[in-house]
Amino acid sequence: MPERVSTAATLVEELVGDNAARWDAAGEIPGGVLREMGERGLLCAQVPAAYGGLGLTSAQNGELTAHVGSLDSSLRSIMTSVGMAAWTVQRLGDRPQHRELLTGLAAGRLAAVGFSEPDAGSDLNAIATRLRRDGDQVVLNGRKVWMTAACYADLLIVVARDGDCAAAVAVPADTPGVVVERVPDPLGCRAAGHANVRFDDVRLPASAVLGGGGQPLPLVVTTALAYGRMSVAWGSTGIIRSCLRAAVGHARDRVQGGGPLAGHQLVARHLADLKVAESVSTSSCAHASACWDARSPEVTTATVMAKYVASGLAASSAASAVQVLASAGAGNSHVVARAYRDAKLMEIIEGSSEICQLLIAEHAVASSV
Amino acid sequence: MTTQPVTGAVPSADSVESQLLAHLEERTRTVVAPEQDLFATGVVSSLFAMELVVHLESTYDVSIVGSDLKQDNFRSVRRMTELVLRLRAGDA
Repeated sequence: MPERVSTAATLVEELVGDNAARWDAAGEIPGGVLREMGERGLLCAQVPAAYGGLGLTSAQNGELTAHVGSLDSSLRSIMTSVGMAAWTVQRLGDRPQHRELLTGLAAGRLAAVGFSEPDAGSDLNAIATRLRRDGDQVVLNGRKVWMTAACYADLLIVVARDGDCAAAVAVPADTPGVVVERVPDPLGCRAAGHANVRFDDVRLPASAVLGGGGQPLPLVVTTALAYGRMSVAWGSTGIIRSCLRAAVGHARDRVQGGGPLAGHQLVARHLADLKVAESVSTSSCAHASACWDARSPEVTTATVMAKYVASGLAASSAASAVQVLASAGAGNSHVVARAYRDAKLMEIIEGSSEICQLLIAEHAVASSV
Repeated sequence: MTTQPVTGAVPSADSVESQLLAHLEERTRTVVAPEQDLFATGVVSSLFAMELVVHLESTYDVSIVGSDLKQDNFRSVRRMTELVLRLRAGDA
């Protein structure tokens, strides 16, 4: 880990301390923690220095993301949301929007990104949230579901229809007509501030539409998701690392049947699988980040593959770790119990495993010789 | 596949257009006409749309952000060619 990344990682460790289980149980992370993370630019660490960001590479931010993910997947989910908002602004926004919005995010404004709707989940082509032009203003109507971090967000980046095309709109969360309703009892990442959000005749200046809108829906969606998938992939790698650590520690120290658990072959197999999962997941994420940093067109597919591999391995690793720790890890707030619940959501968010499989298969067919 | 960025002189419209047609044919296994609407005819999938943007950026050493990402600029190979040439000329 380069020095600035390890400094950042240490700071996050201090901020999280031993609170992750408590925040999970309470379903909330204290505002002060998010503010501190935000003001230090840690929630969107790839924002360029020109806008006050840390300007980390994807590989560096990935390692930081994995570290946060190993401590607290709720905090990492918020990091994914803010980073994805910043990346969407950077990619789809114009220069004045970069100056205003990126600078704000790098200084600690919290943000969430809305794609999914009641009738548009795995089929985002069915997005019905619509933008209407009205002179030098726009009017937004629609509903988004399961917006991660929306309960904390100052800014909501909303994907909407814009005529025959699409647009991402930057909506301050306190705009009249915006109604944020917390998802009451989520399975995992319980303190990530998931919310269902309604937009009823939300009136905004036209300058709130990133790049003026009129962009292809597939491009708008894939742009934002590219960052989100990368972040979820690294976060999943962090989940695997925490499971590996907990399972190995327990299997080494706990004695049953005259020897440490690690000496029992069926337990040892779990440890081997966890170790392999950690290595494979890290390699897959590192490859995708290298493509991102080299501006290689391969990045889109590499990112989907990393997300698919890492989230699947996180889910199986968490199940293995719970199995190895057994009653010692079965308290609902234990690190492996949280991992078990959080990892399942990673197989769903930013494109379910099945959607990833379809995209990867499509790529395999299209690029076959 | 890696393509060396085209730096230096502004490339000609013909060369960009023929390179793009060849790239699309290779990547989508479809023969594409210069003015064919790539979205209406389903040539560009969601993942490929982003890949295409990154391909244009890395191949022609341009940066395509904000309003340059309008759908009209990607509707056909000819439109993408015009976009690349305009961005290259802007840099010169």
